Amino acid sequence: MSPFLKPTTEPEKVRVRIHRYDPATDSAPRYESYEVPYKPRMRIMDVLDYVYENLAVDFGYRWLCGSKKCGTCAMNVNGTPKLVCWEPADPDMTIEPLNNLPLVRDLVTSRDTYEAFLARLTPTLQREKEYKEFPEPLSAVDMAPTAHLRECIQCLCCHSVCPVLQQPDTGFAGPALLVALAELAQDPRDDMDRASLASKEAQVFKCVSCYECERVCPVEIPIVHDAIEPLKRLAYVEGTEPGANRARTFLELVKSRGRVSGAVLALKTKGIGLDELRLAMRMVRSGKIDLKDTFFSQPSPGAESIRKTYEASEK
Amino acid sequence: MVEVLQTDVLVIGGGAAGTNAALKAADYGAKVTLVVKGLLGKSGCSIFAAFTPYFQKTNEDLRSKRWRFMIRYYNHYLADQEYCGRLEDYMCEEFYPDLERIGVYWRRKAEGGLEMIEARTRSLVAHKQGATGPIMMDKRRREVLRRGIPVHEECAVTSLITDGERVVGATVLDYRHGKYFVIRAGSTIIATGHSDYLATRATGTREQSADGISMAVRAGAELANLEIQWWHVSDVLEPKSWMRYHIYPNPLMGTLETSRLYNSQGEMFYEQKTHSPGAAAPYTEQLRRLAREVIAGRARFDGGYHSGYDHIPAETTNTYQHQAKIWRKLGLDVGKDRLECGITWHMRHGGINVNAARMETSLPGLYAAGGVGCHYFGGVGPASFDGKVAGVAAAEAALSGTKKALPEQALAAEEKRVFGFLQAGAEGPRPIEAKLRVRQIMSELGYIKNEHNMQAALAALQEVREAMIPRLRLQSTSLNWNTGWMDALDAGCMVDACEAMVRSGLNRKESRGPFYREDYPYIDNEYWLCRNIVNRVNGEWQSRQQAIPTPYLTPEKSREPFFEADY
Repeated sequence: MSPFLKPTTEPEKVRVRIHRYDPATDSAPRYESYEVPYKPRMRIMDVLDYVYENLAVDFGYRWLCGSKKCGTCAMNVNGTPKLVCWEPADPDMTIEPLNNLPLVRDLVTSRDTYEAFLARLTPTLQREKEYKEFPEPLSAVDMAPTAHLRECIQCLCCHSVCPVLQQPDTGFAGPALLVALAELAQDPRDDMDRASLASKEAQVFKCVSCYECERVCPVEIPIVHDAIEPLKRLAYVEGTEPGANRARTFLELVKSRGRVSGAVLALKTKGIGLDELRLAMRMVRSGKIDLKDTFFSQPSPGAESIRKTYEASEK
Repeated sequence: MVEVLQTDVLVIGGGAAGTNAALKAADYGAKVTLVVKGLLGKSGCSIFAAFTPYFQKTNEDLRSKRWRFMIRYYNHYLADQEYCGRLEDYMCEEFYPDLERIGVYWRRKAEGGLEMIEARTRSLVAHKQGATGPIMMDKRRREVLRRGIPVHEECAVTSLITDGERVVGATVLDYRHGKYFVIRAGSTIIATGHSDYLATRATGTREQSADGISMAVRAGAELANLEIQWWHVSDVLEPKSWMRYHIYPNPLMGTLETSRLYNSQGEMFYEQKTHSPGAAAPYTEQLRRLAREVIAGRARFDGGYHSGYDHIPAETTNTYQHQAKIWRKLGLDVGKDRLECGITWHMRHGGINVNAARMETSLPGLYAAGGVGCHYFGGVGPASFDGKVAGVAAAEAALSGTKKALPEQALAAEEKRVFGFLQAGAEGPRPIEAKLRVRQIMSELGYIKNEHNMQAALAALQEVREAMIPRLRLQSTSLNWNTGWMDALDAGCMVDACEAMVRSGLNRKESRGPFYREDYPYIDNEYWLCRNIVNRVNGEWQSRQQAIPTPYLTPEKSREPFFEADY
């Protein structure tokens, strides 16, 4: 017989702890533990299905396609968000719902707020000119900036690990929605003012570039590099909110002086209140702010070449 | 007091057919409400679409080839041929522009021009590993959201409401919150897709429990050709969830390479280019060839044969095969390893009987679109076309008709039935057991059918209906995402649909396409080139035949041994 499946020396049992919480009836979350017979090449989803079908537990979990297409089976597995249809089972697993989303029950979270936010971003292509006929003239090169972004399956793993979304009421859209917005913003066929949506509606400058979203993306989308940074680049030019203003001022300083002055950046972007003045005085005293440099500084020696580089990059 | 929502057009289902029906009915000026059992654009079959067929009328050779595909190989002459003509127009003129307009990008070459798969007729892809469905459905979903069309997600329609004359809406259970409500509609469109969950091994996922077929059965609508069921041959045997990683017989995206099937002796018994030249009917041909191996003792339907890509450079498989990555994660080498497979229930040709010109069913006020219909076997293109036709027809009827009063008694009775399942207790079977039992019955019936095993299946289904379903007990009576409650409702749907399917099979006294009766092992175009129709009225099953006109393509032989036919 031809090459058959590999012999395995895998563990015989999988131990799984499942998060249980029904907000309608339970006072607090709890965990239930089960042992599931291991089968070679078992995925996490097989373990959950086994518990559900054979160990008589009606726990709530959601999956729709089972093959990394729908993005609805993401859960925290030993603390990391994973698609349970796309990862091998571990001998020892604790399975919990995704963070940063309202819990429905047990392992199921609600996607409602995400969908409502998506609707506010005018999430399909908006054209100024009448669409003519298929196929419209377009090349793979034209569409290259969106190549990774188009593969997003909206599993919300990135959303669940974003530290900014853990803060209440920031207005920040979060990485998943920014991927959707960046795809439109970089699509040569789209004519809408996505820059303004990115800064005002999606608050892209609230992103702290911690790269947590990229770390957990099952589709391996370079979210910061391909989505968030391009949106920031688009939005900083005309954006009026603090994040855009700060980015613009930063660049202007570098362009004119060849380097950044923290005090000037703060002065121009935050303005001066009583608190800032007190802080500034302390920083002057400790030598962290050089008053002469702040008000009468000369461009640094390499400023001219930096300006030229900058101008070249703008072209 | 039950909440009643008002709408012109109610669309049940959020796949290719349902989303397009909603958009086109809204374009027509109707108020539309969408109810989706899973999540909009994410549940059901549509996201499984690998590529989309590229129709061009200008190329006569490809065009006649495609007609043969549509009518002979994929629909075994059971398609509505006039519909195929209109479908061709739609695919040429509207399908791609509609989707490209809102942002779907079909892959182009670096120098421009479409990237095309020439292997069968011609197809386009939005994703090089064949995940066009998710991309297409993502854009449709966004368009529905952008337009502000009301969508009720994770809500199951439990029944259609009829006032004796026409369908006037539906009863709905929001299972996330345990809330029961009613939608009163001028027109109702069922777009619930294929019912792919009806056997132990099935590609369908758990929401695909034949709710659409079942609600149609219970409302008395006609169903046609329900017995024409597909089974995939090359779905991985185990672990269980792997059956959704189908190893398609078709070429890997962008290449001419296909998988091969091997019997227990290691002999190759199926490869598309060898056994289905020109990719004619590869799925049904795979099934027939496997059946021969099984009969000869060289394979079983539930294992003992293998599929793989070990004759192809691993790099090609890794580049173009979506699941190559998970294989690696699970310790398999695509360059060497073959996977044991088993047959897996996939999709059904038949469904609700429709007049495909307007997608009207036999019940006034009720329309059907996409895989749940009986006029074509499915696909995201045809489903989108159906959605458009049904959406426009339903909107037109709703805006010109008067809204009928709701039958209060029926609503109260349905509410009582739905909440009747909400009983906890240690006695009695768990609802999932009833679902698993129905799936087991249909698996045991399997591919090789005869009068005897179909009668046995019918009796077994009846036992589930009478002895299991009334005794079901849940673990909790929570209204909040109570999966046991959902299972109980699903189980009832599955019994209704499977009973209709088996009765339909008993009526068809021939074999055709994926439907094989060993007691009638021939294709009989003289008597059975027709819609084989069943419906249930006041508890009594009725049946009739409806001729299928063949204006464009007629089978050469009036009668042909099943295993010798190529369609």
